[in-house]
Amino acid sequence: MSELKVNNLRRTYGKVLALDGMSFDVADGEFFCLLGPSSSGKTTTLRAISGLEELEHGSVHFAGRDVTESAVQGRGISMIFQTFALYPHLSVEANLAHPLRRSGESASDIKKRVGEVAELLRVTHTLKRKPTTLSGGEQQRVAIGRAIVGRPKLLLLDEPLTNLDAKLRDEMRTEFKRLHRELGMTMLYATPDQIEALTMGDRVGVIREGKVVAIGTPRDLYGAPTNTYVAGMIGSPPINFVTATAPSDGEIALPFLDQPVEAPGVSSGQPLVVGLRPHDIALANGEEGGIPAKIHLTEPLGDVTIIDIRTRDTDMKMVLREEVAARFRVGDEIAVKFDPRNLHFFDPSTGARAAHAAT
Amino acid sequence: MARKHREIGKAGWGYTAVASVVGLIYFFPVLWIILTAFKTRTDALAVPPKLFFTPTFENFTSVFYRASITTGSSQATDMGLYFFNSIFIAFTSVGLALIVGTIAAYAFSRYPLKGNDTYLFIILTTRMMPPIVVIIPIFLMFRLSGLAGSYWGIILLYTAFNIPFSVWLVKSFFDELNPEIEDAARMDGATERRVFFNFCIPQVLAGLSATFVFGLILTWNEFLFALLLTGVETRTVPVAMARTLGGEVGVDYGLLAAIVTLFLIPIFFVTFLLQNQLLRGVTFGTVKK
Repeated sequence: MSELKVNNLRRTYGKVLALDGMSFDVADGEFFCLLGPSSSGKTTTLRAISGLEELEHGSVHFAGRDVTESAVQGRGISMIFQTFALYPHLSVEANLAHPLRRSGESASDIKKRVGEVAELLRVTHTLKRKPTTLSGGEQQRVAIGRAIVGRPKLLLLDEPLTNLDAKLRDEMRTEFKRLHRELGMTMLYATPDQIEALTMGDRVGVIREGKVVAIGTPRDLYGAPTNTYVAGMIGSPPINFVTATAPSDGEIALPFLDQPVEAPGVSSGQPLVVGLRPHDIALANGEEGGIPAKIHLTEPLGDVTIIDIRTRDTDMKMVLREEVAARFRVGDEIAVKFDPRNLHFFDPSTGARAAHAAT
Repeated sequence: MARKHREIGKAGWGYTAVASVVGLIYFFPVLWIILTAFKTRTDALAVPPKLFFTPTFENFTSVFYRASITTGSSQATDMGLYFFNSIFIAFTSVGLALIVGTIAAYAFSRYPLKGNDTYLFIILTTRMMPPIVVIIPIFLMFRLSGLAGSYWGIILLYTAFNIPFSVWLVKSFFDELNPEIEDAARMDGATERRVFFNFCIPQVLAGLSATFVFGLILTWNEFLFALLLTGVETRTVPVAMARTLGGEVGVDYGLLAAIVTLFLIPIFFVTFLLQNQLLRGVTFGTVKK
């Protein structure tokens, strides 16, 4: 059992509060992503779990054992660092063999194991070379190899793709998923990139200022964000927010609509922040009730185009398939529509989810 | 007209010529000393100076053997001992300073104290005044403690003088290292001792070489303390060299030049041996991968 329980971690650096009650659980064999902007406490959390960082408060349980006070060595945890942190003075082979040195395995067993891992990560041809002579992708794969060669029960990954170019990043995402499936180890992956978190994570923990603000499957977090922070963090292009008020129970008046729309669970006079995903806005092809809008910017992405529209005084983003978007120019008047069931409601003072039209 | 192709990144003849002239200007005094070492006494004092002459090894012989005027037989001088002293004292003290300095630098870099910079500053203050200021108290201390004239006395003094410099320089090399490499080693099961010896030290070897050579050059040429604190048995070459000046027959420039030429050899040798490391050490941190 390699279940990880992180409970109420607290850590300050001088006056800066890095971790402020960080808590989450990772199940055995799970791929868990920590998603948060830079300096939100991701790295500190991973370092605390590995034992590299001391804690003022909180506990780390791993595989049913309290390891909060244990030494770094021998926790059965390994880590892939953002900078790869390969040993520059050692060959790739020696880098890969290093974690096995204290395992008591014979030299021939170590050589065999290093060979296996090199094979798995396709770096066999680099074994005799020094890490600095390798390409970024090769260095990354050697770093992965060094982290998994000792068969750790838990693998921590600290923004491992940040130092790679975009194309390699896509490849390595697939690689991580493949490794997770083939090796079956528990993985805890920290990233500021929502695409990495959503594509790879079985579950994602969204963190902000040293604590977890939401945990869920990628689908849950996208489909029913628990607060404005999560809603804004997940989804690309980001969700559109507008402020609105409820004229009567179960109805909401949006600034760009003449008629209030249905909003079950909303009480009269309640101020709300309304979220509407760009993907939930569609063209109204001459249908009735289309909302007039003007295109004022387009951002073609190849397969789709992000369209910035203005309807009355509200700016919003929507997404159209490229062949549809190609028909329009900046300045064109179009009509758009959306399904009121796709609206997300949040409390403007707390940012918490207030009610959901679909529930 | 077709432009001549030139290898990219290599200077043309013009630049090379300018560099050669500048190089020659810098090297000329040294060259002149070396030439003088091979001249007879008459050639050495000739006006105008002679560029072409019949070389002789007479001066080098007389560094180690002096013909006695009264008996006519040759007699060994103590110069061999002084060369040994210079080498032994300089290498030992710079080596000791490097060991102490490296350990201290690692501590300052990785385990900063409260007010770390203040401590570093205090360490450096010993190098802020001219040595002449402290020479009298140090001389008295050495007399009272019996260190004066002993190998350990002068070695300890040079070590103490080299430590601040070593700490500062080596600390800057440790500061440049990626701390995640050390963390990775720890997670791979390395103890703190192994992290230091097997992962940090190999990464700063170039820096250590540079520090060693700089310290060696400073110590090798030190004169003031050596003059006052070494005895007959522990005298270093710079002091012995000074003693050849003066006397009833005037300065023997040929002899002096021969000593200087011999004196240059060890430092030349070490510098060339560590040349590649030295270049990397000096440019450490200025070029990012």
